[in-house]
Amino acid sequence: MPVWFNILLRSAGLFVLLLFVTRLLGKRQTSRLTMFDVITAIVLGGTTVTISLNLVPNLAYGLIVLAVWTLFSLAVHFLSLKYKTMRDVVQGKETVLINHGKVLEDSLLGVRLTPEDLLSQLRKKNVFNIADVEFASLETDGEVSVLLKKDRAPATARIMGVACGQESVPQTVILDGIMMDEPLTAMGLNRGWLHTELEKAGVAPENVFIGQVDHAGQLYLDLFDDAVGVPGPKTKDLVFLTLKKCQADLELYALETRDPAARRMYGDSSAVLAQTVRELEPLLRR
Amino acid sequence: MTIASNVKQTLASLKGAQATIETFASLEKNAENREVLDRSARQIAGVVTAMEKRTGFLEFAEPQYKGF
Repeated sequence: MPVWFNILLRSAGLFVLLLFVTRLLGKRQTSRLTMFDVITAIVLGGTTVTISLNLVPNLAYGLIVLAVWTLFSLAVHFLSLKYKTMRDVVQGKETVLINHGKVLEDSLLGVRLTPEDLLSQLRKKNVFNIADVEFASLETDGEVSVLLKKDRAPATARIMGVACGQESVPQTVILDGIMMDEPLTAMGLNRGWLHTELEKAGVAPENVFIGQVDHAGQLYLDLFDDAVGVPGPKTKDLVFLTLKKCQADLELYALETRDPAARRMYGDSSAVLAQTVRELEPLLRR
Repeated sequence: MTIASNVKQTLASLKGAQATIETFASLEKNAENREVLDRSARQIAGVVTAMEKRTGFLEFAEPQYKGF
């Protein structure tokens, strides 16, 4: 067997083998790499290269190395899932860098971060003023997480005292001109509904690049042809404004009529509508 | 425009809004939100009934503008 053919066979085989090994090691290898994960990945890669290039005298030796590193890595992950102490040893613990707005110089020294490093990490989190930080910690994967002081954090609806309706996730019902049945049924809709909505918008299904339905059943369309303007979903706004207008109309009628019974009816109805508008505002406007 | 036609216009808008809110309610997954939408639809329905009575009276008063 010529050498080049041997190398070709080994490379192809190891390629497939490594694909399986990486699947076995799981997703966290790519999402949150600790130092240990990085080393495992490097060892696996290096071993693969040496085996492929026929640098190892015996193929079995190389495979033993691969097997040991894969199995040990799996075992360590499994044990750290089970035992907290194992987790602390393998992954380490996060280090508090800033507490109560004060930078803890000792812990900075302990994790070998310079003040410049800390500032640059904070800037990456969009924090340019260290006075805004209440708490920051260095995570085990080297990222810094930041908690801003309450009065410097972005305002949420709760802080502003504004009621908000819960919205479920929008479903993508058309992709690349193809209707997707599963998301449609998840929303309790069907193709017939989608055809009606597309007809309302005056668009052919194959012309739609992305179509999304929000929780209120409003359809947003992005077309292949960017020159064609499609009106955005307006139903919620429209209903809300219609109700408000009706309420104002009723008040007007109450003022105009001379019949006391009718005036009372208009007044009561207007009050009911005002109440309805108030209740619906969080759902329809926010 | 007479009062009767104005009132009828408002009535039609209200009915449309009620129907849309009922549609929203039927699509809504969150129980709390659906409760709010259902209640709103019922309240609007009550107003619609009261208004319909009034339009009946107005049609009687202005029979020349009687419509549907």
